[in-house]
Amino acid sequence: MHYKKLPKEFLEEFINRLRKWGEVHAPQKKGKNTYFFSRLDDPSKVQIDYTRTVIPPTKKYVLRPVEPLMLFHGDRAEEHTLRTTKLVLFGVHACDINALKILDRVYLSEPRDPYYEIRRKNIVIIGISCMPDDYCFCKSMGTDYAMSGFDLFLHELRDGYLIRVGSPMGHEITWNISDILEEVSEEDIEYLKKFEKQRLSSFKRHVDISAMPDILDLAYNSRVWERYSERCLGCGNCTLVCPTCRCFETYDVWLSVNTSMRVRRYDSCFMVSHGLVAGGHNFRPTRLDRFRHRYYCKSYFDPIHGINCVGCGRCDEFCPAGIKHIEVLNEVIGEIYGR
Amino acid sequence: MGDNLKNTYLGAPARVLEVENLTSIEKLYTLRFLDNDINNKFNFIPGQFVMFNVPGIGEFPVSICSSPTRTGYLQLCIRRAGRVTKYVHENIVEGSIVYIRGPYGNGFPLEEMKNSPIVLVAGGLGMAPLRSILLYHLDTQHFSDLYLFYGVRNYELMLFKREIRTLLRGYYNVHVYLSFEDIDRGARELIRLYRKSIVRGMVTDALEVLRGSVPFEESYAVMCGPPVMYKFVVKKLLDLKVRPDRIYMTLERRMKCGIGKCGHCIVGTSTSIKYVCLDGPVFTYWDVLSTKGLIE
Ligand SMILES: Cc1cc2nc3c(=O)[nH]c(=O)nc-3n(C[C@H](O)[C@H](O)[C@H](O)COP(=O)(O)OP(=O)(O)OC[C@H]3O[C@@H](n4cnc5c(N)ncnc54)[C@H](O)[C@@H]3O)c2cc1C
Ligand code: FES
Repeated sequence: MHYKKLPKEFLEEFINRLRKWGEVHAPQKKGKNTYFFSRLDDPSKVQIDYTRTVIPPTKKYVLRPVEPLMLFHGDRAEEHTLRTTKLVLFGVHACDINALKILDRVYLSEPRDPYYEIRRKNIVIIGISCMPDDYCFCKSMGTDYAMSGFDLFLHELRDGYLIRVGSPMGHEITWNISDILEEVSEEDIEYLKKFEKQRLSSFKRHVDISAMPDILDLAYNSRVWERYSERCLGCGNCTLVCPTCRCFETYDVWLSVNTSMRVRRYDSCFMVSHGLVAGGHNFRPTRLDRFRHRYYCKSYFDPIHGINCVGCGRCDEFCPAGIKHIEVLNEVIGEIYGR
Repeated sequence: MGDNLKNTYLGAPARVLEVENLTSIEKLYTLRFLDNDINNKFNFIPGQFVMFNVPGIGEFPVSICSSPTRTGYLQLCIRRAGRVTKYVHENIVEGSIVYIRGPYGNGFPLEEMKNSPIVLVAGGLGMAPLRSILLYHLDTQHFSDLYLFYGVRNYELMLFKREIRTLLRGYYNVHVYLSFEDIDRGARELIRLYRKSIVRGMVTDALEVLRGSVPFEESYAVMCGPPVMYKFVVKKLLDLKVRPDRIYMTLERRMKCGIGKCGHCIVGTSTSIKYVCLDGPVFTYWDVLSTKGLIE
């Protein structure tokens, strides 16, 4: 890894210089306590200490909530061509970077999703270190630190940021702005160590994942699923804000008498239609089936890539019924142990 | 897989050459790609499916029911089951253009089954993907013997009547057994002609009747049918001593992409997640044991 240091007084200058590689989008405040990633016109507006955005930046910029796939004029089809803007996402947290790697695996495996690929190629990712709040459980999921998946990653120091360079693009940027960068000092390294130590000891929520996939599977008939699914409203908020949920539904829209458009939009496995097939058979007919399905999909242990959840805490913070993902997991796990 | 066509979600335009009414709710569509290059290159394995895309209406997965040995065209047997398939039945006629992408899914492991006896167990529309194996065998004599067990409500709803009647008359190493739940006029006529090959009841009843006459212990078994069928047929096959590692089935789920992106066809739990469109639609009995919810 190549390391550099950005002195604090150059932060705004740094952000402005990033515009050379694309439109800069960064966390900004809307309302009292909600954060959104959006275009940053004034670098002083950046919320560098934000907790989490509602919609994960990584998902928002690669998978649109609604997007046309193709146009039909009578029998003639035409692929929808994307107007691509080059984007620099400034201030992405480690969990979201790790989540993007999961989305990449889905959308960039053959056959590739062309729309995803074009957007993805045009995104520069600048990560930033963070302190966990009451909802974070990324440490349990092993996604609290990003070792890849970014171009630059900034770690807070007393008087600046330690920059990790994670890609050729990252090198290009640091090379071009070397006049505002410094070398990392011994003191900075000491600070980083202390910061990391404090970060790692600040997590309030934990779940033990080593045997979790098996224990959850064994607990298929646990009463805990049932109890929580009765509280669940089935609204699908958790899937909407999840950085690794990526189901989509497609449908056709008519624009004129002979022009139509195939569109896709986010879908959620909490919707009754998700498992419904023609003739009325539903593979997940009850709320319980759908509730459990999401936990299983998120907790799936892929032998190569690990677990599908990055512990960002969004589903907990934004659940209107106050259901906490990690509490459900812990309760199911605990129940089996306790018997 | 999927390399045949270049546009991931669109597919290639194909012309409907022929539409044949099979029953009151199923039609057989014969299609050919407009681009000759694609016709020459399009290759598939029985058990694979394509996405059938009707501009402005929608898209759905459908098994290929013709055989890869018969090139230059594709056949799809489509049941009128919902919105898009209803549109297809009413509006897609000879000469219509639709878009086809695929082939998708894994298909049956035919190489492994070569020269062994095979038992096909079809329920209703499940006959469609199995017809691909049947035709493949007729063209290549791939199996030592082929036993087809086809269960259908009544004769009226039976698919591929002409082909099946031909085979009932006796064809070298192909043996056909039918089961009807209701005996209508057609079924009565078949019983009169081929008494030994027709059973009243479910497809599992037909399997039971042939206990002792079919070499189940050495056979591969492949099944396809409505979701409720699998549990009962698997149980019967195991009871008839078909080896568990030789039991295959092809499954369905809601599908919106066919290529592992849209998430609809995901089944399983934290230890085993399967995509029916990628890991299937053909699954083994071992998959059933290790993946909860694969069959009901
Ligand atoms: C691997 C596979 C092979 C199949 N082979 C055949 C075949 O050979 N012949 C045949 O007639 N049918 C087959 N089906 C079922 C066929 O896909 C559905 O009947 C069809 O999708 C119904 O679409 P619809 O729009 O008319 O119904 P609607 O109920 O209006 O469904 C709307 C949409 O939901 C999805 N959907 C609904 N039901 C299903 C379903 N059962 N499977 C997958 N997606 C569904 C489709 O995208 C569909 O367009 C197969 C399904 C799968 C998964
Ligand atoms: S059909 Fe979309 S993931 Fe399988």
